Amino acid sequence: MNNRSAQVTPAGPTVILARQLAKSFGDVAAVVDVSLEVGAGEVLAVLGPNGAGKSTTIHMLTTVLEPESGEASILGFDVQRQPDVVRQLIGVAGQGSAVDEQLTGRENLALFARLYKLPRSRAKQRTEELVAQLDLGSFVDRLVGTYSGGQRRRLDLAAALVAEPPALFLDEPTTGLDPASRADLWEAVTALAASGTAIVLTTQYLEEADRLADRVMIVDQGRVVAQGTPESLKQELRSDVLAIRMCDDAGAQAAEMLMRAAGHLVGRADGPVVQVPVNDDPGLALTLLALLQKENLPVADFQLRRPTLDDVFLEITSGPVSSPSPTSSLPQVANPPSFGIDVEEVA
Amino acid sequence: MTTHSPTFRLPAGLVIDPGPGLVVRRALRDTGSVLWRDLLRTSRQPDTLVFAVVMGAFFLLLFNYVFGGSIGAGAGVDYLEFLVPGILVITALQGAQQTSMSLAADLTDGASDRFRTLPMSQVAVVAGKTVADALRNVAGLVLVLLVAVVMGYRFGSGTGAIAAVALATLVGYGFSWLGAAIAAAVRKPDTVGMLSMFWLFPLMLASTVFAPAASMPGWLTPFTTYQPISAAADAVRGLAAGTPDLGSIVLTIGWTVLLLGVFVPLTARAYRKVRT
Repeated sequence: MNNRSAQVTPAGPTVILARQLAKSFGDVAAVVDVSLEVGAGEVLAVLGPNGAGKSTTIHMLTTVLEPESGEASILGFDVQRQPDVVRQLIGVAGQGSAVDEQLTGRENLALFARLYKLPRSRAKQRTEELVAQLDLGSFVDRLVGTYSGGQRRRLDLAAALVAEPPALFLDEPTTGLDPASRADLWEAVTALAASGTAIVLTTQYLEEADRLADRVMIVDQGRVVAQGTPESLKQELRSDVLAIRMCDDAGAQAAEMLMRAAGHLVGRADGPVVQVPVNDDPGLALTLLALLQKENLPVADFQLRRPTLDDVFLEITSGPVSSPSPTSSLPQVANPPSFGIDVEEVA
Repeated sequence: MTTHSPTFRLPAGLVIDPGPGLVVRRALRDTGSVLWRDLLRTSRQPDTLVFAVVMGAFFLLLFNYVFGGSIGAGAGVDYLEFLVPGILVITALQGAQQTSMSLAADLTDGASDRFRTLPMSQVAVVAGKTVADALRNVAGLVLVLLVAVVMGYRFGSGTGAIAAVALATLVGYGFSWLGAAIAAAVRKPDTVGMLSMFWLFPLMLASTVFAPAASMPGWLTPFTTYQPISAAADAVRGLAAGTPDLGSIVLTIGWTVLLLGVFVPLTARAYRKVRT
């Protein structure tokens, strides 16, 4: 488990750099301590549940929000002291409705080209390149209001790329997309990284991080709780999960206490469901079910499944690094795993 | 980790330390870009323009045919001739509402967050909108005038007509920045809509748009005579009739300069302030 806190440095020359960023809104600490470094040609996936601080981090890196403390720079230009230079070096796409619905795709790209101060001839040429590169040809002359979700995201990405930025920020670029559109976008992102763009992308999908990222950073409650290559993280998180549905909440509570008393890491899901990571030991599943039967606790249903992001968080955030968040239904664990101490000390 | 050899370069035209001249030139260019976007939107969805014209026509018909008899007879004037210039001013104020509403929408739906990540003048986002509204106002004023002409209204002179439309547009532009300041400070479309009514209705009704100041109670007369909408209504009335009244024209221009002087910086400050 040591690779979780390993110092990981970017592959190419550093493009995006952040040190100990923090930001709160009133009493709510959105980002507590986030540091990151992304090199040219590298993709960093920032993974985390809703409200983890992913978007706030992106907003600080892209000059939309001022950090409360800490610092960030793009190619050495400070986001707070030289925002006007930084804005010439970044492209941003994601959740927001940045493209105008009452304009066509081509008009939207023309608007961005003008705002990025591209010369007229270059703007035309660049638009054609983007239409070809992101395969916008079949819809680029229609009003954006008529687009599907996938078409809109592709146009949004094209708009972010108008000025060929060395740093690209994608805030949940595929949330809500169908699998085919998602695959198209992944392909585009991979090609951009190969051409030398430094990319930070936030996502809620483990699969997306796995597929695209050179490095993954897991953020929870405004802190980096784990960081590493997808391989190293998956290695830790490959554990299958046994999910047992009890007949009622009282049953689930009794089962939870029983298993915890027996020394297992156990969590609750929605409804009367208890979940236990069973590692590589399917026999453990049988043991646990037998335990319930012995105590006469009736089981409604059970399944053994691949880990989801929730399970990742069950495992990673159950240590002393962060207390259970009210939104992620994480369990209090009697015997927290020993890896908790040093995971904060990431690069 | 990665096997490719990454290459990147700074963008060719990277501006690191622009002089004040370049800043202004770029701000003007950005204003033009935002204006272009806004006018394209209007051409796709002209409902706000239609609304402004319908409102103007509605006021014309209502006041002329319902109240015209009593107000006109009391003041001893031809009421349509009295009313039309005032309605032009009211129509030009619709632009302020538009600036206000569309800016509030931009600030809430993420569009202004996106603009904030672009290397552009942030004030240009607002400036472009106000200019677009001024141009829409000109179109709206011409259409309302057509309705007035159908109802029997005639200008005193052609140049007077042009000057009347120009002055109404100018004062409308000043109020656009009041609308922008409210939107930038409040940032909630519903609240912004309501706040617009707060300043518009008292200024509109306690003015010389619909009735001469002399017909109102004495304690109200100073306010009614000198407030910006009255000044504009009187000035436009003089120009339209071919008998320009220098005092009210100067007062109108003065009010406009004051509105711009106060609300352009306030808007810029409120808009630039990042949300918390």
